[in-house]
Amino acid sequence: MLLEKVGSVMVVGGGIAGVQAALDLANSGYYVYLVERSGAIGGSMARLSKTYPTNDCSM
Amino acid sequence: MGFEPKIVAFTCNWCAYAAADLAGIIRMQYPHSVRMIRVMCTGMVHPNLVLEAFQLGADGVMVMGCHPGDCHYVDGNLKAEARLVVLNEMLETMGLEEERFRLVWCSAAEAERLAAAVTDMTDQLRELGPSPMKPAIVRPA
Amino acid sequence: MPLTSVDRIQGELGQFHVTLREHPRYVDSQKCIACGECAQNCPERVPDELNEGINERKAIFLQYAQAVPLKYQIDADHCQKLRSGKCGICEKICPAGAIRFDDIERLISLWVGSIILAPGHRTFDPSGVRTWGYDVFPNVVTSIEFERYLASSGPTEGKLVRPSDGKEVKRLAFLQCVGSRDYNKASHGYCSSVCCMTSLKEAMIALDQVEGLEVSIFFMDMRTHGKGFERYYERARSRGVRFHRCRVHSLEPANEQGDIYFRFITDEGKQAHGEFDLVVLSVGMEPSRQGVALAESLGLHLSGDGFSVTSSFAPVRTSIPGIYICGTFSGPKDIPQSIIQASAAAAEAMIPLADARYSLTEQPESAPGRDIRGEETRIGVFICHCGSNVASVIDVEALAEYAATLPQVAHVERSLFACSEDSQQILRDLIVEKKLNRVVVAACTPRTHEHLFQETLKSAGLNEYLFEMANIRNQVSWVHAANPEAATAKARDILRMSVAKVALLEPLDPVTVTVNPQALVVGGGVAGMVAALGLAEQGFPVHLVEKSGQLGGNARHLFQTWRGEPIQDFVDQLVTRVKEHTLITVHMRGQVTQAEGFMGSYRSTITKPHCTTAMDHGVAIFAMGGQAYKPEEYSYGQSPRILTALEFDKLHLVGDERIKHGRDFVFIQCVGSRVPERPYCSRVCCTHSIQSAIALKDEEPGRNVYVLYRDIRSFGQREELYKKARELGVIFINYDLHQKPVVRVQDADLSVVAWDHVLHDPFSIRADVVVLAAAIVPHPEVRDLARIYRIPVDEDGFLQEAHVKLRPVDFASEGLFLAGLAHYPKPIEEVVSQALAAVARATTVLSNRRIELDSIKARVNEAACDACALCLDVCPYHAITMEPIADGEAKQRIRVNLTRCKGCGICQATCPKDAINVGGFTYRQLSAQVRAALS
Repeated sequence: MLLEKVGSVMVVGGGIAGVQAALDLANSGYYVYLVERSGAIGGSMARLSKTYPTNDCSM
Repeated sequence: MGFEPKIVAFTCNWCAYAAADLAGIIRMQYPHSVRMIRVMCTGMVHPNLVLEAFQLGADGVMVMGCHPGDCHYVDGNLKAEARLVVLNEMLETMGLEEERFRLVWCSAAEAERLAAAVTDMTDQLRELGPSPMKPAIVRPA
Repeated sequence: MPLTSVDRIQGELGQFHVTLREHPRYVDSQKCIACGECAQNCPERVPDELNEGINERKAIFLQYAQAVPLKYQIDADHCQKLRSGKCGICEKICPAGAIRFDDIERLISLWVGSIILAPGHRTFDPSGVRTWGYDVFPNVVTSIEFERYLASSGPTEGKLVRPSDGKEVKRLAFLQCVGSRDYNKASHGYCSSVCCMTSLKEAMIALDQVEGLEVSIFFMDMRTHGKGFERYYERARSRGVRFHRCRVHSLEPANEQGDIYFRFITDEGKQAHGEFDLVVLSVGMEPSRQGVALAESLGLHLSGDGFSVTSSFAPVRTSIPGIYICGTFSGPKDIPQSIIQASAAAAEAMIPLADARYSLTEQPESAPGRDIRGEETRIGVFICHCGSNVASVIDVEALAEYAATLPQVAHVERSLFACSEDSQQILRDLIVEKKLNRVVVAACTPRTHEHLFQETLKSAGLNEYLFEMANIRNQVSWVHAANPEAATAKARDILRMSVAKVALLEPLDPVTVTVNPQALVVGGGVAGMVAALGLAEQGFPVHLVEKSGQLGGNARHLFQTWRGEPIQDFVDQLVTRVKEHTLITVHMRGQVTQAEGFMGSYRSTITKPHCTTAMDHGVAIFAMGGQAYKPEEYSYGQSPRILTALEFDKLHLVGDERIKHGRDFVFIQCVGSRVPERPYCSRVCCTHSIQSAIALKDEEPGRNVYVLYRDIRSFGQREELYKKARELGVIFINYDLHQKPVVRVQDADLSVVAWDHVLHDPFSIRADVVVLAAAIVPHPEVRDLARIYRIPVDEDGFLQEAHVKLRPVDFASEGLFLAGLAHYPKPIEEVVSQALAAVARATTVLSNRRIELDSIKARVNEAACDACALCLDVCPYHAITMEPIADGEAKQRIRVNLTRCKGCGICQATCPKDAINVGGFTYRQLSAQVRAALS
């Protein structure tokens, strides 16, 4: 039996890479589950405050 | 302290306004002299708005935008700077000290810079005293 | 899904069954308003991970100040209530009733079509290695800790003081490669790629903060191989940062005051020593433990270092179809590289699922809202207590009474939490019941909550732009907590300003564009072909324009990747797939000569030898590539045995005599790169030369192979090759820009003269073949296209992306994307990643039938406009044009292209007649705020 493909994607890791991947997928018509181990997304980049001033990882 | 200055600040949504929000989140304390007006870019602040604020008795006016090179709209902040520096001359003819007007660059993360700028401006205005334009204003009854 | 980990993955591409484990937060996210009362009163202090344990947080905490979601969580390992049942203060104090000590772990089961793994890295921990002195001397810190010392939100509030005694730092040293390029102390052979730039950045910030600061950086090779990095390095030099090419062996205490002492070797080979107030260990990256565990459980292939291994031709694919990886998990990389890979992984994940697009989500529809023309202005004011965040400082009762006295205010309402679901319902009901047509919410900040309230307005049938927020929390109660009276007065002013503005707001119509699903790709090299295929495989028709008569671009001249994978097979396959794909139209010997339009709707003119065609497209991807620099230095052209790297490769491959019988080979690096005319690093040449050197040695170990270099930039896992070359006896000789080597041609003899740093003498090397590692320069077509599409190029002639860090494949002009060497020199796996990233970014546009844009746009009041055209030149988006009022008439009028306009308002501030205004921020509206502020 040929089963239908599921229109959702799971992204594991809520750092800058995971967030960017999730945004691109969600903006292209897929349901995204962004799975993050800690209490908030942001990852390593949350610790770098100066060079990346806009804190653009908002969903 | 007798005199509490009133400052009108035009703050860019993408940087200084966000820095002011962040200052709140980290509970930074700064003088309550400033009234912020959110704009999408300092490039949208017409010089007449600044003049109007002074004419209505503002003790100081600040325009706070993104650091050069960081403008959300390519170079609106630089255009604002080019336009607003001319104001200094106009202030002089109005009999106002040029220190009453300030352009501040401040990123979204620089809550401290924002608070310091407001504090500094407030201190300076306290020294300068109330705007000389104030007595000229005729208040409606 | 925060606080969640992956338990199990089963199934296959298209249908994976995933089991997740959601760990308890002990705080109800729906209820928590992030007021911070709980943390203020929590008695339990814990080292703060965010600040590398430099300071403390509480057992109930916010991960960081701008955390998303902005919700508190309880650390069960430290919470007294959860450990021993005592305490529970937070539960009593929480104004929102959000504490849930009975929260439990839950298992979640999901079906997904594909999976992206982005588990990231962790930073190397230098504890336990005595010679580094970390954990032993308080004034030795890691670069990540130092980042926090510099941050204004960090533990020292951005003051550069040292940990031991709070003394201001005046002498600062950075030690590079701590935990990288080091088998002895760290057992990590690879280079972490980002630490050189991290140290430079930290050095520059520190210099800004402390006057008279002395900064020294101790390094082996400065690896500033990214876009704009070399210029940054030069700036650091010119600001007086001292660079010492030396790996420091060990740190010692200098005295009892806590200063640090160490010895080093100067560039001249002399012994020296220094004393510093603070020493920063520039620590590298390691794969994350969770990532490794997950990869192992899935059976993914990992390198000896624990990073996942991928092919250069499919850099984000794993060995399992349907599972992709991105970010630092596949090797150390910086932020733009991580973002590029992330978008690339998104592209790979969506391509096979194209049929299932929109099966689980819907395209948002827009509704204009009720017509309020003719209605009298009725403003509703909603004052939020935010628990006690606002109400404990500001006299909200008095504020509400005051609000009722303001002109045109029809209703005032207070609520404990205006953002809660029940408050939203009240707002919705009141809009209808009280016939409100303008709304002010006095609460937190529009930057986080405006959207929520706008959605509520919409659902109540009111245009969402008839709304204004008065920021009385972040910008009043939180920052003037000590002065409630002044805070209340300020809140009154802000509320009055908001009411004055909202009264003048007008409904703004939605601005939408119909998206043409076709794409244009310029450049038929690897980047262009990968991009074209990625879009075509999702069902979007692609026009691929190639200037030459052949597909393949620069890759046609390359034979293998740094991992040794054969490039020609890959290129041949790409060419075949492109030619055979029914949705790809290739325009060979074509050139774009004209273009107009905006995101969703471009029209470009393609000129070919015998025809010119116009084509419509929704997006464009620019991948015009680069080309090799033709050297003018090092006697190039004066001997058939002085070759560029590409010439050498070809001759080597065909078994040319010059190489086959050569004994002495000299490679010269940075030919045309990192020089005043071209102050950038070409990124690939070090690795390329090392690879050639290894091949020469492998063939004939007796050969003498020399590499004359400035810094060896075998970044990331390429470092293995550098190590191998040295082991094989390749001799690496460092030279400085001011003492470049000289190539001598005397009859048939070649020699290279270089400078010996230790003996201070020139010395000569006999050479059979000299190989010049020539720079990569942008293709001349880049400049032409930049002009046609009005996209920026950087100082070096490469395309300038929208944001170097965060938007590496976009332009400020939406709907246009870039990939490949046209952006910056890069190796083939980065080219493929970037092309795939462009596919994902382009798909976010093409997958929509219509795109709704923000309605904050400039609009012209024709009655006031005298068509002086001052606004035309200042518009950064060329959105404003002049056109005749009617055909054939001389009188002109100003038109704003709403899809191009971004609403910055630069036109508004330029207009002498108040005739062009940005909706929601018009001159009159801003002026009303000024007047209200000062009345």
